[in-house]
Amino acid sequence: MALLQINLAGLPHRAGSALAIVVGVTCSVGVLVSMLAMGAGSRQQELGNVRADRVVISSVGGRGIAGNITRDELAAVQGLPYIRRSSTGEPIVVPEAIVPQQGRRRGTGVRIFFPLIGVGGEIGADEPELHVTAGRIFRQGLHELAASAPCARQFTGFDVGDHRSIRGTDWTIVGHFEEGKSQVCIVYADVDTLMSAFGRNSYQRISLTLKSPADFAAVRAAIRTDPSLHLEVQSEREATEEDFKPLNGLLNFVSYFLGGIMAIAATFGSVNSLYSIVDSRRRELATLRAIGFRSATVIATTLFESILLALPGAFLGSALAWALFEGMSVSPFGYSFHLVVTPSLAALGVVWALAMGLIGGLLPAVHAGRASVATALRAA
Amino acid sequence: MRFLPLVWSGIWRKPGRTVLIFLQATVAFALFGVLQGLKAGVDNAVAEARADLLLVHGRSGLFSFPLPVSLLTQIQALPGVKFADPVELFGGIYQNPSQKIGIVAVRPDPGWLSTFTFQVAPQYAEALRKTRTGTLIRTHLAKKYGWTIGDRIPLQTNLAQKSGSTDWAFDVVGTYTDSDVGGGNDTILVNYDYVDEARATDTGTVQHINVAVTDPKIADAVAGEIDRQFANSPNETETSSLRDLAQQQVQSIGDLNFLIHAIVGTVFLAVLFATATMLMQSTRERTPELAILKALGFSACTVSLLILAEAIFIFCAAALGGLALATLVFPFAARFVHGISLPGVTVAIGLAFGALAACVSAALPAVHAARLRVATALAAQ
Repeated sequence: MALLQINLAGLPHRAGSALAIVVGVTCSVGVLVSMLAMGAGSRQQELGNVRADRVVISSVGGRGIAGNITRDELAAVQGLPYIRRSSTGEPIVVPEAIVPQQGRRRGTGVRIFFPLIGVGGEIGADEPELHVTAGRIFRQGLHELAASAPCARQFTGFDVGDHRSIRGTDWTIVGHFEEGKSQVCIVYADVDTLMSAFGRNSYQRISLTLKSPADFAAVRAAIRTDPSLHLEVQSEREATEEDFKPLNGLLNFVSYFLGGIMAIAATFGSVNSLYSIVDSRRRELATLRAIGFRSATVIATTLFESILLALPGAFLGSALAWALFEGMSVSPFGYSFHLVVTPSLAALGVVWALAMGLIGGLLPAVHAGRASVATALRAA
Repeated sequence: MRFLPLVWSGIWRKPGRTVLIFLQATVAFALFGVLQGLKAGVDNAVAEARADLLLVHGRSGLFSFPLPVSLLTQIQALPGVKFADPVELFGGIYQNPSQKIGIVAVRPDPGWLSTFTFQVAPQYAEALRKTRTGTLIRTHLAKKYGWTIGDRIPLQTNLAQKSGSTDWAFDVVGTYTDSDVGGGNDTILVNYDYVDEARATDTGTVQHINVAVTDPKIADAVAGEIDRQFANSPNETETSSLRDLAQQQVQSIGDLNFLIHAIVGTVFLAVLFATATMLMQSTRERTPELAILKALGFSACTVSLLILAEAIFIFCAAALGGLALATLVFPFAARFVHGISLPGVTVAIGLAFGALAACVSAALPAVHAARLRVATALAAQ
């Protein structure tokens, strides 16, 4: 302990080297935590609205817009037991027809695609997280659209009262809604009106609410064993995770790849700084050894010093990532989400820094412990 | 030239320290190289996307509404159109749900290949034309599932046949490759006419029409002409070239540049700081030697240039080493971004960056060396 105090007391004299370590670790942890915050943000957003009692049904071999669910299949699903009933006594089953549409980003005018989803049944009962923030929801049988609030924030032509021409017909935006934490632009319309406008006869997806999450296995089995149904049943969590698996995999790979490379660079830097710190204390260390401190003690304290120097970098890095990027909206892959710096990410940053301190301090510490007392004292 | 030995011995005064600075800077430049290479790859993909290949969609959205296949004859008749081919896409699974196959239905009439980015051997194209239920498979699918010519592959799909079944089977008659990077890898080509006659719904329609124009320069004009032909009809079209589509994809990843700059900036900041403190310390340690040089008649300017030259040498070596390292990573990264490459201009920018970083980090030490007073420095000894 006393040795460590001596180590640390000398630091102000070697402020440059110490600072170089701190800056290196800060940069590395900062980049790692910021990058991972993108993944954490997108996950939080995707899974934020997931409910255990909600089930997503798609057709076998065709997910998303490639789905092909017939009216007979919908009727069969509606007839299943286990499905919760709404206040009006109807089973809460929402068939969806999905049509990708084009929009333009505000400011840049860049073309984007957003899903126009025709929904039937009682959307409010299936999605209690849906809140109308302006205007009202669409009415059945009319060419009316309800847009999620992020649409209006990010893209042009989504204000309440705006008209959009779809398949040669005039549709009116009648309201905005928020769905929990979702930052995705989605537009809802009446499913029958939409399907007749597009001359379609099949749905792409069905969402339904169970009486209890425990009924999931029973529903899955019932649909799988019915030979007339070519449907795939997934809990909402499974479906969401599968949809975003490629994106999350990419984000995580990029984060660890870049964070790893920066950590390697920072470790080389801190090895160098520690060597020079040890070098400049050669006489001091030799004296300590001469008066009876064991070399293992010298190695341990030098290692500990290295770790202590890495720690402020970890906190600074996480703090900087938080201060600069928390809540910032990015769309690196055309899909926008907020960055979220979670405590677990900060903890990961600290572990990362500790590893850098430990690995970086190893060689210099051994060097400090091994130095021959006689040579070191004579050289001075 | 005669100062070279001096610079050289200065660099190797403390070999361990020099090597560590070199390694740290090398890693930074490798990162720079990889990220710039990625960007170059993306830019390349846009530049190489074919401008003479137009995709005609229904106006209401990319995949949403099919067009009647009869538009084909009208498009084929327009001036500047080399060939037009119908494309129908649907999805299937082979054996289990995780083995997804994209099915691309085309009409393999003579000349069809000009409207695609596929490479097909003539005998395979001929075989597809002659075999109604035939299919060409992506070469790597042959390895993945062990399919060979003559196999009959059963697929569960989302497209119903007239019989009500959603199972389809195709006979493998050959293989093909695709130079386009988008569109997924696990795809097979089948006959549009066979699929269209056998399916229960949407008969006589296509998802999009691929059009090859005679000259890339007139692509925009032809695209405009196609859309004008069908304006105000129930089948309004939206025509864009493959390059336009690639461009739009790149624009949608707009934050990529910001990300790259921020990361490269941060890593260089860390390296600069570390190197500057190292060089400062080493200059301080060398105070007596530098003082002797000055006493021997070296001017203040020469001495500080010596220090600068050392830094520039280390950084430029690190730049070259790092960029070389980056190119080693490219074959691996090519799996994520096609056409990743290191253009000469990036190497030049890297070297310039190296020189700049050297000057910045060696500035203080060089000034210190220049200001050094011989008498005090030697007296301190």
